[in-house]
Amino acid sequence: MDKKVTTPIHSSARRNFLKQSSAMVALALAPPTILKAGDKKVEDQIAGYFEKVPVKLEINGKAHALSIEPRVTLLDLLREQLHLTGTKKGCDHGQCGACTVHINGKRVNACLTLAVMQGGNKITTIEGLANGDELHPMQEAFIKHDGFQCGYCTPGQIMSAVACVKEGHAESDDDIREYMSGNICRCGCYTNIVDAIKDAKKGGKSL
Amino acid sequence: MINFQYLRADTQKKAIDALAKDASAQFIAGGTNLVDLMKKGVTSPQRIVDITHLPLKQIEKVPGYTRIGSLALNSEVAEHELIKNNHPLLSLALQAGASPQLRNMATVGGNIMQRTRCTYFYDTEMPCNKRIPGSGCGALQGYNRMHAIFGASDKCIAVHPSDMCVALVALDAKVLVSGPKGNRRIEFEDFHRLPGNDAAKDNVLQQGELITGIEIPDHPFTKNIHYLKIRDRASYAFALISVAATLDIQNNVIQDVRLAMGGVAHKPWRLPAAEEFLKGKKVSEEIFREAAKIAMNGSKAYEHNAFKLKMAPAAIIESLKIAAKLD
Amino acid sequence: MENKLKEPFMPPIDRVDGKLKVTGAAKYSAEYNIPQMAYGVMVGSSIAKGIILSMDTKAAENAPGVLGVITPFNIEKPAGYNIETSGNISATKKGFNVFDDKLIRFSGQPIAIVMADSYERALHAATLIKVNYKKDSFQTNLEKAIPVVKPLEGNAFKDYTRGDVNAWKTAPVKIEAEYNIPIEVHNPMELHAITVHWETPDKVLVYEKTQSLMDTQEKIMELFGLKKENVHIITKFIGGAFGSAFNVWPHAVAALIGAKQINKPLKVVLSRDQMFMNVGYRPQSIQKISIGAQPDGKITGINHEAISMTASYQEFTEGIVNVSRMLYDIPNVFTRYKIYPMDLSLPTWMRGPGETTGAYALECAIDELAHALKMDPLKLRLLNYSDTDLEKQRPYSSKYLKEAFEIGSEKIGWNDRHPEPRSMPEGDWLAGYGMGSGVFIGWRGGAQVGARFTADGKLLLQSAVTDMGPGTATAMTKLAAETFGISPDKIVFEMGDSSLPPGIMQGGSGTTSSLGTTVNNATLSLKKKLFELVKNKAVFHTETIHDVKFEDVVFENGQMMLSSDHTRKMSYSDILESAGLDNIEFIEETKGFNNVDYSTYAYAAHFVKVLVHPATGVIKMEKIVSAVDGGTIVNDKTARSQIIGGVVGGIGMALMEEGVVDNRYGRWVNNNFADYHVPVNADVPHIEALFVNKPDPILNPMGSKGIGEVAMVGFAAAVANAVFHATGKRIRALPITPDKII
Repeated sequence: MDKKVTTPIHSSARRNFLKQSSAMVALALAPPTILKAGDKKVEDQIAGYFEKVPVKLEINGKAHALSIEPRVTLLDLLREQLHLTGTKKGCDHGQCGACTVHINGKRVNACLTLAVMQGGNKITTIEGLANGDELHPMQEAFIKHDGFQCGYCTPGQIMSAVACVKEGHAESDDDIREYMSGNICRCGCYTNIVDAIKDAKKGGKSL
Repeated sequence: MINFQYLRADTQKKAIDALAKDASAQFIAGGTNLVDLMKKGVTSPQRIVDITHLPLKQIEKVPGYTRIGSLALNSEVAEHELIKNNHPLLSLALQAGASPQLRNMATVGGNIMQRTRCTYFYDTEMPCNKRIPGSGCGALQGYNRMHAIFGASDKCIAVHPSDMCVALVALDAKVLVSGPKGNRRIEFEDFHRLPGNDAAKDNVLQQGELITGIEIPDHPFTKNIHYLKIRDRASYAFALISVAATLDIQNNVIQDVRLAMGGVAHKPWRLPAAEEFLKGKKVSEEIFREAAKIAMNGSKAYEHNAFKLKMAPAAIIESLKIAAKLD
Repeated sequence: MENKLKEPFMPPIDRVDGKLKVTGAAKYSAEYNIPQMAYGVMVGSSIAKGIILSMDTKAAENAPGVLGVITPFNIEKPAGYNIETSGNISATKKGFNVFDDKLIRFSGQPIAIVMADSYERALHAATLIKVNYKKDSFQTNLEKAIPVVKPLEGNAFKDYTRGDVNAWKTAPVKIEAEYNIPIEVHNPMELHAITVHWETPDKVLVYEKTQSLMDTQEKIMELFGLKKENVHIITKFIGGAFGSAFNVWPHAVAALIGAKQINKPLKVVLSRDQMFMNVGYRPQSIQKISIGAQPDGKITGINHEAISMTASYQEFTEGIVNVSRMLYDIPNVFTRYKIYPMDLSLPTWMRGPGETTGAYALECAIDELAHALKMDPLKLRLLNYSDTDLEKQRPYSSKYLKEAFEIGSEKIGWNDRHPEPRSMPEGDWLAGYGMGSGVFIGWRGGAQVGARFTADGKLLLQSAVTDMGPGTATAMTKLAAETFGISPDKIVFEMGDSSLPPGIMQGGSGTTSSLGTTVNNATLSLKKKLFELVKNKAVFHTETIHDVKFEDVVFENGQMMLSSDHTRKMSYSDILESAGLDNIEFIEETKGFNNVDYSTYAYAAHFVKVLVHPATGVIKMEKIVSAVDGGTIVNDKTARSQIIGGVVGGIGMALMEEGVVDNRYGRWVNNNFADYHVPVNADVPHIEALFVNKPDPILNPMGSKGIGEVAMVGFAAAVANAVFHATGKRIRALPITPDKII
């Protein structure tokens, strides 16, 4: 296909930080492999290289040593860079709970979490909940009680539900309803979600 | 979102220095408000200073006070035995806010610092004096259903969104602040400000100052308490009106009382005149009604929030009734 | 119509895709990782109407990682943009092609797509575009538009009259009321997303959120002049849609154009705020209903007028007033429907389109009439129960609304309530009971299903349909298991791919009816083919039967057996083996059903109990019972979920959902999940979903009528009526938020 990019790209410096004094330091520190030519691509690579910071974190029991831009949210890191797409984006603003993951055992919204701040933390996503082929009791309960329809909010619901029980906030139906209210289900499966959580809790298996 | 520089502060001094020198820098802790605002382009700090590794997470009793570190999580504070036993009003208010996930992220300091949720503030295509001074107040003649009925100006009619702060202002909390010029202790009542002619400024904090914690003085309010939050759905929504009410009742006489409202002003709204009226009176629905009337002095509504003039006193009465176990 | 489902039915089954959904392995349209994939971000206009004079895209183009920016100023238009439409087409039928011209039709209209090598870079670059507009005056306020804007004309807007239009006026008891429903937005949890991969310049692979693979494929073929086999659409999972995913929306077209232009795979995901103005909504409506009745409750006439809206650039109509023509036995009926073009984006079908809107007004009006008559609202409904479709002048193929009333009212304790309004205090709260009926058409379209039965006893079924959540594959699996006589775990129903035999769209409560009929016919064909293979085998012959016929055998547990002697049997696998076959494979096609002799409708009877706190205006849903006549229920477990889902949608509609536009700017002010409230878990009590579960004898071999829409139709009225019963206050403008109670 010989369609070209719509507008010619100028090779003038385009990075905020390249305009700043630190640019020279940056260039001096850049690995030689990315300093071969003066076109946009190379500048982008330089820019990309220096805008990233190293982060080490553990996801679902696996250690990751990553280099990421500080502006990358944990949600986008999981979905776009690590291809762990089980964690969902529903609103991107902490208003729906579809992105719920556990950080060091606590449920949080990954969309408002900067990945760069999670160095050293243990993150569990829906992909890390089952024990191999053996589903987590909460996952089983959601299937048994049909606690979902489209399935999109489901990973967040389940991660939230597991935490809800562990926190001791699943002592009554009303308790579950209140403490599961940070996870919106537009298909409206709340009745079944409450049943699933009660059942999983009653099951007594380790949650 | 622009790509900012990320710095992790390992000491309080370094954190404060980083901000004191750089007006384009901001602290981040839980991130639940800042990251949201950055995504919307409402704020674009070029440097973010991560303070979450500072040792400011303690929740402890000291003589005369309970001290809570500014990095203590909303969920931790709400569930802490010390808080549940000594400051149950604070627990209730915290649990009425946001969602369990957000409460696991949001810190006490961040909650105090959170900015208004006014839609005109959030939409960068709309006028807003808080975002761009001089651009006008979009809400004044616009969709102002959620907006202030007390203390607003024609520059800004936004409300402070916090539930926690409503309890803290009622409990006479102090905000502990550390800055380039040293430490200071600010009365909660004085911390947030009214918009006046300068809507951009939410509070009295100076550049580089860091909230290190709060102190809640000992008080007798552990039995007769209620935090009533009226909202458009049963949970996970901002208040139309909220009322923190707590009473010290001896032999059916109100010895002392604290009343504050949320969802009505640019700051958590304490009701001193109503409190004064109630002190020394015998508990009755009638005096609660009278107090609510007094509390509404000076209120003013706009096109879409006139209902608050009716809902607010009703909420005050209701909250007092429940706190006094009058039913 | 052989192959009917037999009682006792097979017990309900769990979702066949449940494991994928609970483990996060189910892939939605934004979740395919293609090497070298770029990210596209849409930029929307900040004004509501006018012309773009110029756009400065330099900063965006020069931002790091940016691969291209497409605007109306530099677009290379696809061939389909230039197809001449007939000269007489009205402005409101033309629609608009993204980036085709510089006109702004609504705030948030896509005016650019910015593509970069990472999501963050694309997102940031998109903020760097500067636009210079010439603004025009606009109208986004329906009330203000009515006196000054001309409503659309055409067949869809012809008045309907039956009998005497003035009959209601002369009746001894009458009511008149106006009902308002604001804009409501589908807001499925999954953001609309598309991933495009041009494998060659004339061959494209598209992962798109769509309720209709075939329509999406056709639209893309048209746009780019491509052959059918070169447009491959994959939609394995849809994270909810409720009507928002029928159209190929502007962002999808932009993604297709963009990916072609940068010659890289491209993913475009709308943000939640963009979802409010780019993928449709339920339009605002103002309805006036007048009803007249005899003192004994017999309704003599009804007049139902609805005013609603569409976009300035395209017509969208729905049958808001239709429900008043047929739900009750009323001799004199007049209905009128008008829509006004507004400077807003295009509305679209949203769960129970038309009926949900119309039934809200009608079912509240019936309640108002019951109050005027001092009559039990349920009794009034029974008194005016229609046994034939008076609009279409023909019988119903089945109608079990009475049965639904019966089981629903019994379950909620309808007769135990005190009928007087504001007569049931519970502490500081006021309790109230309300009901509403729902109705939605049952229909059946054509569909193809591929079937392959293999010697290992497994059945593969394939069809190009998608599932936004109701559990289509699950229902089809159960249906096939039941009709073919094998265990559901031996069946795979493959879908979500346009290269499979063409299925049917998912929507209008017609998927199970349409696709199910074909699956049913496929298993019947399969049984006949098996029978043909072995009908002469000695095993099926007895002293009395020497010439075994198809009717003489039954198919159960993977065995073909003689009805009269179950010991004479042969397993399906053995049949294939003895015939020397590895498999039987064919495509079953069923044409759509033109239901001319009967009217088919599904019904719902919603009953609710609310608690209202009169001082603070807080409303709690206390009890909910929804009894549904949806014909035979194919899979009870997933069907129940559909009902509770529709009910939750109805709670949202009744109590909190309201899209708000600031008419000074023509711009949305609550386009996010914090300000546009949908129900959360704490809003919803245990919901009792009940089924009459009696087969419809006409529509399809399963006897099913569809349930997805009817679950929501009439529910909001039940809530409003309950609020009236609790408080004595009639709130006719939705949503019933606390401020309206106090």
